[in-house]
Parts: sequence; C-alpha cells; structure tokens
Amino acid sequence: MKKVDNDKTTARRGFLKNIAASVVAASAVVPAALKAGDDPALIKEPEWGSKLGMPADKNLYGLPSPYEHNVTRRVHKLLSSGDMYASVAMTPIHELSGIITPNGLFFHRSHGGAAIVDPNDYRLVIHGLVENPLVLTLDELKRYPSESRIHFIECPANGSTGWRSPQFNTLQFMKGMMSSAEWTGVKLSTLLKDVGIKPEAKWALAEGSDNSHMGRTLPVEKLLDDAMVVWAQNGEALRPEQGYPVRLLVPGWEGNLNVKWLKSIEFGDKPWHAKEETSKYTMLTPSGKAIRYFWPMEVNSVITSPCPDKPWKDLKKGDLVEIEGLAWSGQGTIKGVDISFDGGKNWVEANLKGLVLPKSWTRFSFMYKWDGKPILLSSRAYDDAGYVQPTIDEEVKAVGVEGIYHRNAIVTWEVKANGEVNNVHIRS
Amino acid sequence: MFTLEVKKLSKVAAFTLFAATFAFAGADKAVDGSMEYKVVNGTYAGVYKVNEKAVDAKGFKYGKKPTENELKATRIAVRYDFEGLPEGKGSVARGDELFEQKCAMCHGDMGSGGKGYPKLTGGDIDTLKNQLVHPENGDEPPERSIGAFWPYASTLWWYIKTAMPFPHPMSLSDDDVYAITAYLLSVDEVQIDGEDLDDDYVLTKEKLMKLHMPNEKGFYPDVNGKDGVANMKKFLSNPKNYGTPTKRCMKDCTTGKVVHIKATLDSGITPLVSVKKDLPKETGEKKEDSKFAKLYEDKCNACHSNDAIAPKVGNKESWAARIKQGTETLYTHALKGFKGMPAKGGHADMSDDDVKGIVDYIISKSK
Ligand code: HEC
Ligand code: HEC
Repeated sequence: MKKVDNDKTTARRGFLKNIAASVVAASAVVPAALKAGDDPALIKEPEWGSKLGMPADKNLYGLPSPYEHNVTRRVHKLLSSGDMYASVAMTPIHELSGIITPNGLFFHRSHGGAAIVDPNDYRLVIHGLVENPLVLTLDELKRYPSESRIHFIECPANGSTGWRSPQFNTLQFMKGMMSSAEWTGVKLSTLLKDVGIKPEAKWALAEGSDNSHMGRTLPVEKLLDDAMVVWAQNGEALRPEQGYPVRLLVPGWEGNLNVKWLKSIEFGDKPWHAKEETSKYTMLTPSGKAIRYFWPMEVNSVITSPCPDKPWKDLKKGDLVEIEGLAWSGQGTIKGVDISFDGGKNWVEANLKGLVLPKSWTRFSFMYKWDGKPILLSSRAYDDAGYVQPTIDEEVKAVGVEGIYHRNAIVTWEVKANGEVNNVHIRS
Repeated sequence: MFTLEVKKLSKVAAFTLFAATFAFAGADKAVDGSMEYKVVNGTYAGVYKVNEKAVDAKGFKYGKKPTENELKATRIAVRYDFEGLPEGKGSVARGDELFEQKCAMCHGDMGSGGKGYPKLTGGDIDTLKNQLVHPENGDEPPERSIGAFWPYASTLWWYIKTAMPFPHPMSLSDDDVYAITAYLLSVDEVQIDGEDLDDDYVLTKEKLMKLHMPNEKGFYPDVNGKDGVANMKKFLSNPKNYGTPTKRCMKDCTTGKVVHIKATLDSGITPLVSVKKDLPKETGEKKEDSKFAKLYEDKCNACHSNDAIAPKVGNKESWAARIKQGTETLYTHALKGFKGMPAKGGHADMSDDDVKGIVDYIISKSK
C-alpha cells in the first residue's frame, strides 16, 4: 500500500466505523448509565440529533415550531359585538421579546371581518378639496419613495375591562389589544405634494373598502406631520388582518384611525362624524358629556415578566431575576420607567434597553433579588412630551369609569410568596 | 428647539426625586399635544436616517385623475351637515317591515337588543351621567342608544347604508335606508321639527336635514367651527383634561388598598390560556377546505354560526326537524328565502348550484 493512500484509507475506515456506530445508536437505543446529578437531557442523544430534520422544501412559507402552538392570538365572546366578525383577537404579549410583533400574532380587530382584497383591483382615490385629485394603482403607489418606521398600534379599548375593577388574570387579555411592527410605505406629506391640498381643507376622511366601509376623520395637520400610507409590515406585505394591501398609519393614534384596506382619502373643511367617532370611540364622562376625537394613545407601561401568565413559581428565595416590561406613548418617546415594590408608595428608576424610538414600544429592565416575600409590583412610564402614567385613582377622578376607551392607569401585580402573580388594583 | 428642550429635560429628571417632567409649557406641540419631531441634518427625531431628496421630491406623474363617475362611486359618506346625503324617501311603516326582515334577527325586536349584538334603541339621555361604580349599591349604567346618545342622524343614515345589514352591506336602496332610519328614530321617540314620527310619517332628505338629535350638544371639544382643529389641540395639550399627571412622585406617595379580582372572565377565553411548550393534541377534526365549506364560511356563516339568529350549523337539534322536510324543500327555502332566511342568504349574485352545494354541506355538518 502506498503511503499517500494511507491517510485516505484510515479516514475511510474511520468513516465506516462512525456509520456503524450511528446505526447501532439509532437501532438499539442504549441508554448511557446515568450518575447522580446527571441531566438525562444532556446524556442521551436526543431524537432529533439521530435522524434527518425537515427538508428544505417543507413549509416554503415557514411556521413556528409545533412546540410553540400555545403562542397564539386568543378571543373572548364578551369582547365581540355579537360574533367573531366584529371582534378582536388579542396578542400574547407575555410571550413576545423585543419590540416587534410577528405578523401572525399581531392583534386583529375588525368591524366586519378581515377583507381579502385583490391587489390587482386595488385603487387609492385622493379627492375633495385638492388641486389635483388622483387615482393610484398599487404598483403606482409603491413607486413613490418609501420610508420605514417602527410604531405600535393600540386599540383605544385596550385594558377597558379594568375600568371598574380587575377582571382578567392574564396579561394577554389585559393589554393584548396592541402590537408593534416596522411599517413601510410613503409619507403622506410626500404623496400629497403633487395633489396640492387647498388651504381651506383642515380635515380628511379616510375610508376602507371592507364590509364596514370604515370611515374616520383626521386633521390635515397630523397627516402632514408623520402619517403614512403603508403596504408592508415587518418586511412582507401587510397581512389581511392588518389591511392588505394598503392601510393608513397614524403613528401613536387610536388603532381604529389607522384605516385598513384603505380606499380613499377625501379632504374637506369640516369633520365628518362617522359612527366610530360618535356612537363609539367617544368617552362618556361623569358630566354626562362625552369626549370625542381623543386621538393619541397616552403614555403607558406594563411589566411583562413576571405577569400572571408567566409567574415566578420556579424562583427560590435569594434568586437574582430581571423584571422586564413594555412602555409606550403615542404622544412622544419613552423617557423613563419607574418601578414600585409597595403598590406605588415608593418608586425607583428602571433602565430602558434596546431601541428607544418615538411612538414605539420600548423595553425596560430592572435587576431584582427576590427575598421570597410578597410584593406589589407596579411600573410607571413617562415620555418626552412631559406626560406621566396616572394612578387608577387619578384617572378615574378625571374621567369616571364609563368612558370605555383610553385607559392607561398604572398596572400592579401582586406577587405572592409562592411566586404566583395576580392582577390587582390599588384604590383609595 | 426640540433638542434643546430635551437636554434641559434630562438634566431635570436626573437630579430630582420629585421630578417635574413637564418642562414644556408654552413649547410647540403637535395637534394632539404630543412631541413634534423634525428632520434635522437628514435624521428624523434623532434616530431615523432620511433621504431628504426623496421625501421632498415633487413632480411625480403616476396615476390618473378620477372621472366624474368614479368620484360618484367613491363618495358614499354623509357628513354631519348632511353633505353627501342623496335624495330619497321612506315611511316608518316600511322601515318597520324592513327592520323585521333584515335586522331584528341580530338587533332584537325594535332594535331592543338581547341577542348579543348591539342594542340600538331604548336608551335614556337622562342616564348619561350615571356611573356604574358599585353595582352592589344599586348603581345603574348609562343607557346609550341612537336617540339618547348619537349626536347626528347623518351618521345613522351613512352607517346603515354602508355597513348594514352586517352580512350584506351596500345592499339597501336609498329609499330603504330612509325608511329604516325613520323607523329607528320613531322607536326612540325622536321628533323632527316638533313632529312625532308616526307609522305613516314619510322621511325625506329635506326633513332629515331639519333634524337635531337630542344629544347633539353632548360631546366636546367643539370641533365643527373654523377653530375646530385648534380646539382639539388646546384640549389634548392639557393633560388635566384626561387625568394624566406631569409630575412623578418618588417617595411616600399616596396609595390605597389592594382590590382583588372578584369574578374572573378568564374561563371564556378561546383557546384557554396555556404557556406549555408541548406538541398540539390531535383533535381528529378534519380541516374543511372544500369549495362549499369556503362558500358557506363566506356567505352564510355570519348568521348560521349563532342559534340566536339562524339555525346553527353543526347543531343537530336545530336542524333535525328542518332536515326532515327533505333536501328539495331546503334547497327551495335557501334559494327563495324562508321567514328570517333571505333568498340565497342575501347574495343574489350566487348561482343556484352553489347555493344547493352549500345546503348539502350544511346538511352533512348538521345531521
Ligand atoms: C348578522 C347580524 C346583524 C344584522 C342582520 C344586522 N346587524 Fe347591525 N350590527 C351588527 C354588528 C355585529 C354591529 C357592530 C359592528 C361593529 O363592531 O362595528 C352592528 C351595528 C349596528 C349599528 C350601530 C350600533 C351602535 O351602537 O354603534 C346600527 C345602527 C345597526 N347595526 C343597524 C342595523 C340595521 C338597520 C340592520 C338591518 C338593515 C342591521 N343592523 C342588521 C350585526 C348585525
Ligand atoms: C341574514 C342572516 C342569514 C344568512 C346570511 C343566511 N341565512 Fe339561512 N337562515 C336564516 C334564518 C333566520 C333561518 C331560519 C328561518 C326560520 O325557520 O325561521 C335560516 C334558515 C336556513 C335554512 C333552513 C330553512 C328551513 O326550511 O328550515 C337553510 C337551508 C339555510 N338557511 C341556508 C342558508 C344558506 C345556504 C346561506 C348562505 C348562502 C344562508 N342560509 C345564509 C338566516 C340567514
């Protein structure tokens, strides 16, 4: 045998030996002897390590691991207007990381089901008090210069089951009527330059083409400030539930104003007063009068870990743990978040982490050594416009409990000695 | 100005425990009382890079001018001053008939609710000050309804025309919408020009335009005048109006007692809450993706998923007697209509064969 071949032969023998070994391992599962302190998950070759995985042509549009099947949107009959076509599916925010919601988990509120619009028949009409009324196809719209922005969208009814008293013991149903994405589209200030809005046009009506023909009035000032007409979320086309192929994006404002399946924008000199700005989305106060056109979603926060869905049951006395949460404001950028361990009597400052962007979800973090004693854990956010999250008492004193919308009071978790976490209210 | 203020602010916040975060009084705010961000040196709000040549570009030639007909088809809104309201007429009696046929299965007799869908009538303007704080002490909630709460009748006309009946919007003629509007107003005893809307009252455009709803003044801020936008800005820029503080108390703040959940709603959640990481259980249920299953979902399920409205598909009890009538009878009833069941479920454009196919599917699911 020549020397040169020698290496190859040895390598080949080794290879055959390995195959033989793996065949043995696969055919007769010989459990390695476990010694005290050994974790079988480490000692045993797992099933997935000794067989082929999914081929490249399976799930050409990828899916989450089947083990994540409990991470889904959820619904509740009481949160519908009669059936699942005029209803809301809540985002499992207790399972999310960072500040982006995967598209399949983005909360879904619609007033007549999610329309499936044919993009070939999509048209956007801009008309009313303008110099040059305009019709665009989807392709034409997408030729305008695009921008991408990260913004949350929150339904103003988020948290509304808590006006009178705490009712849900799950974060998903306390705050899951919101999600966040990177949106791509054209700024209205760009799109409207050639259209030319007439000076007397102070208002605009945005209308959707879905079953509800959703119409909402917006002030021109906001449209020209930071509103966009968007066609993509998190890098792909909008999902039907988010208005495919095109929706309005009105950063920081009531979810309902971000009109989905956007069909037209009409400019006028007066507001329209649609159903969703009279019968609904108005806040009845103890004076008997209702606040209307309450556009921005106010500064808000919630601790996502721990929470009732993700308690501290596995923690031992003395464990070091990260308290983490989400803060957001439709009126500015989160400036900071305070944390209280005694139900709001004393507060300390938490740290912000990751991207801190205008009108966006922002993560906060606080390192804590748990001594196993019960605590009342609260978070309170404040933003760069100068607004601070109110206590329940402060908010109810100003607007009562019948307003349905815009509830942003401080959330408190009762963490018990056994690590269980409960939604409680702190009331004077 | 914005950068300057922010710098000032962060210093304030860093060095005080009783931090006055609201350093902005008098500073420029956006229309909603929020921070107004600008593009400075090609960067928006200090974080997003911007191609100013792109966002400031002008002279795009895409698209076309809408034709008159196209604009007519697009303009379906009716403004509060009735701009956009088409001519037409309809009587209260006709509205009563139509409501019974097309609306009552969801909204209840005379719109009185009780079927899980919104209650439309029977509210009381005198209850709007009610606050249901202590149900145990007999507190009553405010009772909103069209006549007691809605500020404008234009909204009612517009909404019925474009969004109802729920399973098949845009199917009512303008005259039908006038009739139903008149009917709902008459149930809530709303008057027009001092006149009651009796059964033979015929509502027209001219009459509707004279109507002032009882709760027209029940809303604020005043948005309709030429200062409307300015009024909104003023209102939203004062956080006292909605209970938002501008100071952070850090020590010995006033708090209160702990209130626990009395009766949780958690059991109604679907699917039930779980954070387990395991494999989904095989339910043995087959996914329906046949043509008729899809058509059913699209055209019939809005009513047939709820026994309060129509026999629920899948509920054997609701269907036993009906199926006994024989398939041909069910075909005829589905095609021609039957009591509360509109012909073809209200979808006149569907072929007879498709409707029959759906009926077969319904039977297969419900026997
Ligand atoms: C299949 C059930 C169904 C039928 C049939 C139906 N509706 Fe509705 N209606 C609804 C639902 C659901 C809503 C709430 C939609 C939403 O969430 O925005 C609603 C809302 C309304 C509202 C607004 C209520 C409010 O307080 O804001 C009016 C008015 C109304 N319907 C009138 C009618 C009329 C008139 C008809 C008949 C022509 C009709 N509806 C037929 C289900 C139905
Ligand atoms: C607007 C609500 C509505 C829609 C939409 C609707 N149905 Fe119905 N349907 C009803 C009601 C109400 C009844 C019960 C009538 C009765 O017996 O009082 C009914 C009954 C029926 C029956 C039984 C008739 C009998 O003789 O007992 C059939 C079959 C049927 N529907 C088929 C359909 C099909 C197919 C569709 C879709 C193409 C459809 N329905 C859509 C409301 C609806």
